[in-house]
Amino acid sequence: MRKIVFAIVIIATLIAATAVAQSDVNVTQVNDRRSSGHFAQLVIRLELPKIKTGDVAASRVLVSSAVDDSGASLIDTEAGEPQLEQNYQSPDPDMGKNPVSVAVNLKNPARKVTKVKEVRGEVELYMPSKDANSIAEIPKFLSMSGKSLSHKALKANGVDIALVSPQQIAAEKKRLGDAKRKEYTASGWSGDDLESMVKTYTDDLFQTDEGDLLVKITDPNQRIQSINYVDATGDVKHVSRNDADGMTKFSTWGEKPQPDWKLQVSLKTPKNTQRVPFVVRDVALP
Amino acid sequence: MRLTIRGPAAHLVLVFVTTRRSKNMRAVALMGIVLSLSASTSAIAQSGVGVEVDEVIDNRMSDGMLTGSLELRVKLKGSGLEKASGARILVKDARDDRGTALAGSSDPPDFTPREYNSGTLNFSLKQPARAASKVHVKGTVELFVPSRDPAATVKVPNALSKLDQPLSLKGANVTLTLMSREKYAAALKARKITDKDIEQIRAEGKAHGASDKEIELAIGLAKAMEGLDSEPPEGAVLLSGKKSDFDRIYRVEILGSDGKPIDIGGRSTSSRGEDSLMTLQPSLAPPKDAALQFYVLTAKSKVAIPFEMDVQLP
Repeated sequence: MRKIVFAIVIIATLIAATAVAQSDVNVTQVNDRRSSGHFAQLVIRLELPKIKTGDVAASRVLVSSAVDDSGASLIDTEAGEPQLEQNYQSPDPDMGKNPVSVAVNLKNPARKVTKVKEVRGEVELYMPSKDANSIAEIPKFLSMSGKSLSHKALKANGVDIALVSPQQIAAEKKRLGDAKRKEYTASGWSGDDLESMVKTYTDDLFQTDEGDLLVKITDPNQRIQSINYVDATGDVKHVSRNDADGMTKFSTWGEKPQPDWKLQVSLKTPKNTQRVPFVVRDVALP
Repeated sequence: MRLTIRGPAAHLVLVFVTTRRSKNMRAVALMGIVLSLSASTSAIAQSGVGVEVDEVIDNRMSDGMLTGSLELRVKLKGSGLEKASGARILVKDARDDRGTALAGSSDPPDFTPREYNSGTLNFSLKQPARAASKVHVKGTVELFVPSRDPAATVKVPNALSKLDQPLSLKGANVTLTLMSREKYAAALKARKITDKDIEQIRAEGKAHGASDKEIELAIGLAKAMEGLDSEPPEGAVLLSGKKSDFDRIYRVEILGSDGKPIDIGGRSTSSRGEDSLMTLQPSLAPPKDAALQFYVLTAKSKVAIPFEMDVQLP
């Protein structure tokens, strides 16, 4: 029994040692932006020497603890959970060999404080090259209105995307309008007021600007990381996504998707998302 | 006369200095002493210009390629400001309460049109000590008031018919050339960065102790800036001259046949050494009889108002 316990302790130590080895980070810059107005924050930039920036499409930093040398916590409790942010890629392929850099965002320490005693957390890295099912590119997707888009990466991640046809829009409008009418009626509304409210609801939900597309997305495991259009020259157009009541609106703010464009869906999978623990200590403040 | 007004916010300190020395100066000063601080707000409204802190950003950076700075945004208060077309802050001295000198040695900033950013002015100082809590700034607010000097406004009728010949702005001692597209293209070509220029950047970088990475970044930046010198769009008005002359031009307007200014969608000035090029891109092609109106920063058209203020650091 003692031997087993001893072996477990050894294995646990080895695992911990591996975690420490993974957490190698260098502090490259500290920016304490102090403001009497907006956007006050402390930003510590970390470099992960073992990971090439060219392999990382997006990243975020999840901080579990951060204290300065007065013992005050520097975690901004009012900020929401950080989202994955795109990692800028230089057009120069050699630059992709440089280590990836991430930003740890914290609250400003007091002026009298001279050091950040310790910051702990994890860097989440989205690395599409680690999984063949990371990117789904569907050519000439506009011709597939009314049908689910077919791609092995979407299927592997349990994602379904369907462009809604005009007939489907009319049917959805009726279905959602009826459901809303029932809800408003139960709240005591009736007559012209009721109809006016139902019309306002459906008009808002289905209102589109030129170039907008209405789609239905099923993504039970929240695998979709980002959606873009790719034009015939390979130029990537960012798509803004707005979800409401089971409908999703794709907008490009002015650029109307063309018949020869592709839909590009980037997907997060267990294989392409890596979390690297880190700890930095005694970071001198500028 | 100087009256110090402390506002409700702890960091906000107003300092007020009269701009004109009149025969009644002594009487006003005496009155100021008698009435003390309680009368200060109305005194500002009547006879002077004051500076009020609007926002303070202490952008502190660790050692590296980027350096930190203290960015201040101020509002001007008082009467007479409506006559000013532009304003700027010139810092004479700035120190934090640890004695660190914060005034930079860079060129004076350009005048900011009064209609920009709700009339606020921005200026930069060096990064104060972390242990500092307050900064004291001494300087002047400079106003550009073209109505004070007839030579500050120069109109050149039928200017577009005078291409590639020097335009002398009489009384203002400024000479500029309105360029044809051909001459402008030739001037751009002459400004291309050569291998010799790059060698010079390398040599200067090394002399200043810059790393190879920093030097390559500087060369990349110079090339990127060169890329901005592109062929101007149709209808653009192109001017060339000495940088020192352009530094004295506050604004150039293109006047249509009706004598009214044509909206200018974009304007830019780029300099290489002492040579400068200015591009004005009107939203409508100017008529053949368009005039140019120059607003020149003459000595008489500028009013300097000293100020002092304390700034509480965030």
